[in-house]
Amino acid sequence: MTATITAPPETPVRKTGRPKQNREAIFLFLPALLPVLLLSVYPLIRGIALGFTDARAGLNVDTSFVGFDNFAKLLQNDLFWSSFRIGVIWTLSVTILQFVAALGLALLLNTDIKFRGVARTLALIPWAMPPVVVAIMWRLLLHPTNGPVNEVLQTLNLTDQPVNFLGDFGTALPAVIVVGIWVGMPMTTVTLLAGLQGIDRSLYEAAAVDGAGVWSQFWNITLPQLKTVIVAITSLDLIWNFNSFGLVYVLTAGGPGGKTMLPMLFAYNEAFRYGNFGMAAAMGDVMVVIIIVFLAFYLRNRLRSQA
Amino acid sequence: MRTRPVARTLQYAAVVCYLVFLAFPLLWLLSSSLKSPREFAGITPSLLPKDVDLGNYSDALSEQGLVRGLMNSLQISIASTILVLVVSLPVAYALARFRSRLRPVTNGWILVSQVFPVILIVIPLFMILRPLHLTNTIPGVVIVYMVWSMPFALWMLQGYVAAVPRELEEAASVDGAGRLRTIVSIVMPLLRPGLIATAMFTFISAWNEFFFALVLLQDPELKTLPLVLARFVGAEGQVQFGPLAAASVLATVPSLVFFAFLQRRLTSGLLSGAVKG
Amino acid sequence: MKKVLTALLAAGALVTLAACGGNSDDGSGDSGSSNEKVTLKFQSLAFQKTTVAATKKIVADWNAANPNIQVEYVQGSWDSVHDQLVTQFQGGTAPDIIHDESADITGFANQGYLADLSPYLSQETKDAVPQGVWDTVKTGDGKIIAAPTLLQSYVVFGNSALLKQAGISTTGDSLSWDQLQADAKKLTTGGKYGLGWGLKSPTATVLNLGMNFDAQFFEGSGRDATAKIGDPELEVPKRIHAMAYTDKSIEPTSLTQSGSDVLPGFFAGKYAMVVGGNYAAQQMVEQAPKGLRWEVLPPLKGDSTKQAANPQTLSVPAEGKHIEQAAKFIDYFMKAENLAAVGQGDWLIPTTQAARDAILKSTGGKNGWEQTLAGAGELTKAPFQSVENYPKWKDQIATPALQEYLANKTDLATLGKKLSDGWGQVNS
Repeated sequence: MTATITAPPETPVRKTGRPKQNREAIFLFLPALLPVLLLSVYPLIRGIALGFTDARAGLNVDTSFVGFDNFAKLLQNDLFWSSFRIGVIWTLSVTILQFVAALGLALLLNTDIKFRGVARTLALIPWAMPPVVVAIMWRLLLHPTNGPVNEVLQTLNLTDQPVNFLGDFGTALPAVIVVGIWVGMPMTTVTLLAGLQGIDRSLYEAAAVDGAGVWSQFWNITLPQLKTVIVAITSLDLIWNFNSFGLVYVLTAGGPGGKTMLPMLFAYNEAFRYGNFGMAAAMGDVMVVIIIVFLAFYLRNRLRSQA
Repeated sequence: MRTRPVARTLQYAAVVCYLVFLAFPLLWLLSSSLKSPREFAGITPSLLPKDVDLGNYSDALSEQGLVRGLMNSLQISIASTILVLVVSLPVAYALARFRSRLRPVTNGWILVSQVFPVILIVIPLFMILRPLHLTNTIPGVVIVYMVWSMPFALWMLQGYVAAVPRELEEAASVDGAGRLRTIVSIVMPLLRPGLIATAMFTFISAWNEFFFALVLLQDPELKTLPLVLARFVGAEGQVQFGPLAAASVLATVPSLVFFAFLQRRLTSGLLSGAVKG
Repeated sequence: MKKVLTALLAAGALVTLAACGGNSDDGSGDSGSSNEKVTLKFQSLAFQKTTVAATKKIVADWNAANPNIQVEYVQGSWDSVHDQLVTQFQGGTAPDIIHDESADITGFANQGYLADLSPYLSQETKDAVPQGVWDTVKTGDGKIIAAPTLLQSYVVFGNSALLKQAGISTTGDSLSWDQLQADAKKLTTGGKYGLGWGLKSPTATVLNLGMNFDAQFFEGSGRDATAKIGDPELEVPKRIHAMAYTDKSIEPTSLTQSGSDVLPGFFAGKYAMVVGGNYAAQQMVEQAPKGLRWEVLPPLKGDSTKQAANPQTLSVPAEGKHIEQAAKFIDYFMKAENLAAVGQGDWLIPTTQAARDAILKSTGGKNGWEQTLAGAGELTKAPFQSVENYPKWKDQIATPALQEYLANKTDLATLGKKLSDGWGQVNS
């Protein structure tokens, strides 16, 4: 997956034989083309368009174009916006905390400490687990009566009542965020570690000669050198976290009281519980616009400060 | 660089904290899968099961839906992995080797497909698959997975292809070998590690996938493992933690095994190669 | 150009191949004549071992007697049934016989997805179920969209030893809410709570038990219904809240858990009583430690002991190819001995008197069956069952608002306002 994060290597252009190459390229593309057009490009466009219709479940119901009606209704829909707010809190907290935690771990794994092979392997495990299993596992861990987390808290006298982390209004979102961090850490760690290993050792040696301390080396060499990798992985994490579904669906299904109702869950319910496909697609449209605006802003700022 | 003993101790302490955070949940899952139902009915949990009880595993496996889910997941993951490789390799080759106009378009598509929330795609997808009689079928899910794992596979593969020295191919073509033969006899063997890594990656993402399967598969006989597991949890009636934990462990094994292989490659060649590129 | 064509064909073949590989949805022909052999899918939501076994036995018996109408048992789940049916109806893959509950299917009926069973069900079935229960599965224009099978009521379970110790008598025709409150208070001693109440999904409980105080919640039906939230509607949440936070006789964490999550606490003697659907009795039988004796207390009484009748249902999709045959199977399912078997497995009350008698006879009224069956007469149709957007209101408005109130985060007035304003929002 790491290969996906860094830009694909530039290929030197061959100036000769271009027309022939184009034809050959098309030939190589063909097997992929039909499925991609049919099942990816077309659904994408159709999905966007669906947001402007009143498509809904029902036997022999007609769908008609309704312009911006859905969006006008969405503006009035407090529940959608509150789910949006939750989505933003979730996305930002998970992405940022995950990044900080992963950077720490990557730095540790990049030192010459013992057992780092074992540590590295263990650290990757969450990545290999299906999100549904992760959710089940954390439900066991956070269970109010026979979960170990409550047991530990009570033994240490930090709480006198068992806390139903996933069922309590105050703790549900933070608990879900912790699980989100847990799931996403390996990926971020591996990427950052790869970035760290790519940094030229001689930069540090030169800095050490100049008498720079560990912190100064971190701020002046490590972070600037990692910048591209950091921007790439945090952007991807942002997108993935904003669009995440399975984990929270199984952990809380949006409860208690909608406190963990991520926008994806909200839109899913609108479509597949209440049968309002057009409205759900409109929600999806809003999500896309927000993601794109956000990313554009983030990437522009990052890249500009890099230049 | 020399590290002072204090700093060293702190480093180890930090590593231990990380590992507890990352590995303890898994240990708990394992231990839960070995506990008897009575132990779950008690209110004081312990890390080690009082007496190891494999009954949960046999319970989980005797649960008809689970074994079927396992088989369905295997079938879907293997089929979509093969398809993805077959379809993506030529494209990846073209992307890495030719500067065709399709290249920016493809890379654009790869990016877009990452950004879009699946909710927007799944409704039209459902409408397209329905007249083809592909909703609620395994082949339907397979082709959907194929298309939606392609962006990743392409991105990975084109990096690997680019890493194969162009000179080798040129030498072959000087010898009179056609493009196809060059690919098959020169590029493919060199790509093997890359193909394996991509395959495992695709497999794992198909194995773990939840959303498309949730919407596209309704027949209990067709459900994939994650769906079967999710159904277990939900039941308002009784959640049988033991068998659930056992089933979860079983569901993790295949991707863990694959991962053990993949991990070596991930941390060695692939990583440094990809980052330097 | 030739190459292009070949490749296109290859890609096309891929999709076609996939299409052909898809197994057809049912092994049966297209025509609906009753002599032809058909296979019907019956998606059952039974989840307790005993009920699953009873249901499978009914299917097996039927299959043995009806070689031309074979029924295939398919396992569904209560949690996902609504979403699943939306996609199944939309994809044209709905099972031939659909198990659900009356409050959940009103929307599907209005969307035209459910077949009118009135021409198909036998007179015997129609006569066996009281009119009041039929009302819960009829649309405004008199169509029967399902056959009602089992009814649930909410009951109080008590730990016999603890009740006896506190000198609480459990006889009588009914248990008033005041009495429940007093008992719970009495039983709350030494770190133990009088009552554990799994109210993670509070709406159904509050609306059903609300009938004790004649709570309406809605007026009218379909899309025109209006919300009606006043003192009677808020009485049940108010009382639960008072017990949890004024008397401190309900363990507050239990209010955030599901019904089955609180059972370990009951088994461990942490709660002397729990309130739950009567199906919880089956879990007690299976999971309670050997030494624990438990009992079902008399039905709760406010102004009356009425509770909402929200029966489980069997329906047939309007697009189904074998409506007639499916209805025949439903007739068979509704026979007294069959309903009695599934009812007994789930500890739920059959909708027909004959089946109730059969259960009373085979159990001798023991293990709380007498009290369970006694509550049956008081189950009546509630307004919320014929409100199309009830499921949405339940999920998006009522459940969060009630959870919030029961977590002591808002006051009663705010709860009332949220419940009634929220209706305007989801029903627009």
